[in-house]
Amino acid sequence: MDRRDNASSSAPALGPDASFRRDVLRHEEARGLYACFSCGACTAGCPISEVFPEFSPRKLAKRVKLGLKRDVLEDPYIWRCTTCRGCEQHCPQNVRLYDILNVLKNMAAEAGFAPPAWVEQTRWVMRTGLVYPRDAALAKKRRARSLPALMSRGEQAERLIARTGADKIKAREEP
Amino acid sequence: MRRYALYLGCTTPTQVIPYELASRWVCRALGIELVDLAEFTCCGMNQVNLSLEAGSLLAAMNLAHAEAKGLDILALCPACAGTLAEETERLRDEGRRARINEALALVGLEYKGRARVRHLSRVLYEDIGPERIRAGVRRDLSALRLAPHYGCHSLKPKSVFEGSDDPDDPRTLHELIAAAGARPLPYATLPLCCGGKSFPVSPEPALSLVRKKLDDLIGRRADGLVVQCQTCYLMYSGQQKAVRERFGDRPLVPVLLYPQLLGLAMGGDPVDDLGLDLSAVPLDGILVKAGLAKWS
Repeated sequence: MDRRDNASSSAPALGPDASFRRDVLRHEEARGLYACFSCGACTAGCPISEVFPEFSPRKLAKRVKLGLKRDVLEDPYIWRCTTCRGCEQHCPQNVRLYDILNVLKNMAAEAGFAPPAWVEQTRWVMRTGLVYPRDAALAKKRRARSLPALMSRGEQAERLIARTGADKIKAREEP
Repeated sequence: MRRYALYLGCTTPTQVIPYELASRWVCRALGIELVDLAEFTCCGMNQVNLSLEAGSLLAAMNLAHAEAKGLDILALCPACAGTLAEETERLRDEGRRARINEALALVGLEYKGRARVRHLSRVLYEDIGPERIRAGVRRDLSALRLAPHYGCHSLKPKSVFEGSDDPDDPRTLHELIAAAGARPLPYATLPLCCGGKSFPVSPEPALSLVRKKLDDLIGRRADGLVVQCQTCYLMYSGQQKAVRERFGDRPLVPVLLYPQLLGLAMGGDPVDDLGLDLSAVPLDGILVKAGLAKWS
């Protein structure tokens, strides 16, 4: 077993890790990353980059291609994407950067770096069917405005989520 | 009469009740029948953060429920509309559909590929249309100069909105505002995102984005901003207080959801029908210009 295999089966390597690129590209959503030539149209179209220059979709794509596994998966900034898809809008190569980022977030979540907010939302979906809790105060507020009672339930969602293993994902420890 | 399965999403029925209220009122007034489905859950939009597969399964499950009732979906949330519509696209692939259906069988469901999903504004634009909307106007709103905010998920990804707005030059909300009798206001930061989907994880960049648009509107002396998404509404209306605390005092910008504006134009009661009293930012300026000096 060479160093590379070792790295993908246990703790991520510190330096470049060629298996990381392969692991990302294995996902159908991420195909096309190789077409990226780092022009930066994605970063120019990213509103988060506009107010928070440390977040750069262009650099993120580059880091994945370089195989910087740990650097990417442990990066808290990957969770700052606001899902506007401005990065994809003007990409001359039709790289689906939003989907690629989701693949990276999925890998980071599996490795234990998911933010508590998203883990908590999934828990609520499995209980109420919605990403939020529902309490008596809300029911009262809706009744006061003559809106029908909320009827959603979580059982079916729970069974489907459990099938993917996403119910087992734990949130990262907050400092 | 047009019938749709009403897809409320998670945020509107729990946190943005005025949007639900106004949407139901406007649809009833325009002859659009909305059917509530007990089986609907979260669309999967935020589950993709942890698992793309879980997100797809939730979307497909909701599509299957609507299909089983023989209904197309009318969604209030543009992100739900986009997530569900995008999944209908992916599920055109037979291999994928077979794989997803294998999972759906666990909960006794099957998706055959017949569901159609659109957002409320698109249904209003396409099924009713600006002409008929104009014909139903009862109150003169021509004194109002209102900036349209489309919201990212109402425009992108392009493939989901075939035949609708061009994300680089959207027009439908401008036309819908004009059809309600108000004046759509051009402004520079129109395409700017509200940051809402990053807010639960990192509020700072999101608040900076909200501030940028609000300051532009203050500079343009807009009477208000019109949104068509509950998350955009929470950011631009609900977070104005936080923006003022974080970046200093500045004039307040009234924010309306499109069905609230349309309901106002059609003669709806501002409180009982449209929930304008539930706004975090006072809407008195809007009401005065709409010829309603007080809450009716």
